This record gives sequence, structure tokens and C-alpha cells, in this order.
Amino acid sequence: MKAKPSRSLLAISTTALALPGIAIADAPPVNSSLSYQVSNYKEDNLTREESPFGDLGRYDIDVHQFQFISPIGRNFSLQVDANYEDLSGASPWFTTLSPSGSPIVNLSGASGIEDSRSELSVGTRYYLENGSIGGNIGYSEENDYRATYGGISAERHFNNDLTTVSISLSYSSDDIFPTDAEIFNRVISEDKSSTSAAINISQIINQVSTFQTAFSITEQSGFLTDPYKLIDTRPDNKTQIAWSNSYRRYIRGSNAAWHVNYRFYHDDFGVTSHTADMSWHQNFGNTIQVIPMLRYYNQSAADFFTNVDDFSRPATDFQSSDYRLSAFGAISAGLTIKTTVGDWDATVTGERYLANEKYSAFSVSQPSAALVRYFRVSLGLDFSF
Amino acid sequence: MKPFRTLLLVTFSLSLLAACTQVRPWERGLLAREEMAWRTNALEGALNDHIFFSKEASSGGSNAAGGGCGCN
Repeated sequence: MKAKPSRSLLAISTTALALPGIAIADAPPVNSSLSYQVSNYKEDNLTREESPFGDLGRYDIDVHQFQFISPIGRNFSLQVDANYEDLSGASPWFTTLSPSGSPIVNLSGASGIEDSRSELSVGTRYYLENGSIGGNIGYSEENDYRATYGGISAERHFNNDLTTVSISLSYSSDDIFPTDAEIFNRVISEDKSSTSAAINISQIINQVSTFQTAFSITEQSGFLTDPYKLIDTRPDNKTQIAWSNSYRRYIRGSNAAWHVNYRFYHDDFGVTSHTADMSWHQNFGNTIQVIPMLRYYNQSAADFFTNVDDFSRPATDFQSSDYRLSAFGAISAGLTIKTTVGDWDATVTGERYLANEKYSAFSVSQPSAALVRYFRVSLGLDFSF
Repeated sequence: MKPFRTLLLVTFSLSLLAACTQVRPWERGLLAREEMAWRTNALEGALNDHIFFSKEASSGGSNAAGGGCGCN
């Protein structure tokens, strides 16, 4: 696979040949690029054991992604991202107990749910002697949800550009206006906000490997409850922390690169999770790259999760049967094949995701009957000019 | 067990940093290869972040969170 150097390392490598030891200014991308990816992922139907009554079909989602990146003058870059998502199907509405004593799921109505989401984000970056600063603003709209967000970030290189420290801040203001609110006695209109900060440190270890560690903290406040569940009450504040670590190593003899990532997460809903994934980027000549990927995820349950809705409890008590707050593990495996022809890259990706309470390393006292399984396929095109 | 795991991870991280050598700019050609990027495909990475955010309870890590959606 041809080398497409990152912007800062390219600037360092080339100019340093002429002026060794002189600090090189950071630089915007050398080329402009236009990228598009279309994806479909379809959640597996529930089984009759999981949902004895009604339709079994879950979500079927199409996603279109666009990205444009371009240098602007000598010191600026522009990035525009646009996404369109089309969703149809059903999600779990409430859970009850079967005659045999196991939890069963009742879906919200597979034939009726149609939703679409459009998102636009614009960002710019200014490159300085030893780093860069940037900002972005974005807007996302769905039939029942609207988000306006913005963020700023800054990075600086140290230690002969062997070390890079970056910080970022973001804020999102969201409005929720559920469909069929009066018919199903849902909230008419609510809002929530999210503030997030992160620090990221990257280090070149040697000629073939790099390491990155990052810490983020996010504070959410407002309406955090799922309005489409028959009964669901959550706290109106949530604090989340995440610690990510990444390692990259180039394997000379194999003409390949090995990626390993690990993330620890915890929030004050009581959820703790561990995520580990790895991928192998194997080059075949300069035109083909094959990338197998494996991911393992497991989380503990939220403090107020219940796998069977308790309608006898007061509405003010915190409870939720949302499977995403249950204890479970998930394994996903995927394969990407990428080909390069001139200034064009084309990729095809297939991924299978399986969530199961048996995969969790945490104790599971209340397994959810609605854990999701899906297959995803994506096709992408990238043009550099 | 938790403190032991934390100590193990910190020790592993520090040992990696201790192995750092001075890599001169003209020796960084392999590091500049596309497959050595933190994210080799920005759209694929963004899609995965979005899908996992909508199917799991966790999010965040390497950057500050972006915009929200009704998917979680």
C-alpha cells in the first residue's frame, strides 16, 4: 500500500533532510480529499423465546457519510462532514415475565417506525510552529431529536516532535420531542446538554512503534430517560469517564501494521466497561490492503437496570429495562479490503456483532432478553486531489 | 484484583515509554505510512463510534464527545 504520510510527519521528514536539527512548522494536509461511505446494518430478529408475541423484526439502518478535507492557504485546513441515516423497524417497548419465569420482550411495532437523521459539521484548523488549534460546529436533526454542538481543540509537539499533547472541549445542546407523544402519554418536549473534555498524549517509541493514552470526562444533564419505553426513569445527571490506550507497530518483515486499542469506561449510573480491539493491516504490493479486525466489549449493569419492568413501583423511582444498561459482553469480527488505483481508494467492509450475557466478565444477575446482534456491510470511496 | 490490574497496566505503559529512543526526523518514514495512523479510515471510525454508542452504554476516550443523537 502506498504511503500517505500524515501531514506533520511528512513536513518533518522532507525538510529535515535539508536542515537537520532545525524545528519544522506543523502543516495542513498536502492534498484535498473527498470521501464517501454507504453502509447498511440490520439487527437480527428476536426469537420466539425472547418475544412470544407480535413482530420479531428490529432495526434496519442505512447510513451515508461524506467528508471533504482541504488545505486553505499555507496555515489553514477546512473539514466538512455530512451524514444521512435512514432507519426503520422496531425497538423494545417493555419487558414482562413469561409463564416459565424468564424475561420476554415486547417490541414497539415493527411496521410503524420510520426515522431519518441528517447531520452537518464544519471545522477548521490553524497550523502553528509546533502544533495547531481548531474548532468545529455541527447540527443534527431527526424526526424527534435535534442537536447543536461545537468544539475546540489544540495540540502541541514536544521533545523533537516525539511527543504530542492535545486537549479538546465540546458542548452539545439537544432537544427531544417524541413522536405520537399525546397518543402514548410521552413527554411533549424536553432538553439535555452534554459537556466534554479530553486530554490526549501520543509518543513515538522507536522507528516502528507509537503509543497513545487519552482521558476524557463528560457531564450530561437534563432529560436522559428513554421516552419510547413504556416505563423508564433515569437520573437527570450523568458523569462519564473514559481512559483509552492505543499502540501501533509496523512489522517490517511482513509489510504490515498491527493496531491494538483498549478503553476503560465508568459512569455514575453504575456502568463499568472494558473494550479491547485489534486489527492487522496487511499490504499486498502497493494496491491492495486486507484488514481483519476483532473486538471484545463487556459492561456491567446500571444500578437501576431491571430485566423485567416493575409497573408497581412509583414513576419517580429510577428503573429501566433498556438492554443497553444491562450486563453483557459483545464480540465483533470484521474484514476490510482496500484497493488503491491512482488517486482513488475503494474499500469494502463486513462486520458481524454478537452481544450475549455469557460473554460478560462481570456478574450477570439479570440478563436482558433484548441483546442485539447485527451484520454490517460498508462500501467506501476516497479521492485525493 | 482491581488495584493489581491498574498497577499492571501502568507498569506496562511506563515500560513502553522507557523503551523510547530518539528517532530523528528522517528515520520516521515507516511511522508516516498510512497504515500507522491512529485512525486509518475516518468515516469507518466515525461510523463505528456512532453504532457502538447506540448499542452499548459506553462512549468517549480519545477525544471530547461530539453531537448527540436520539439513538441512545
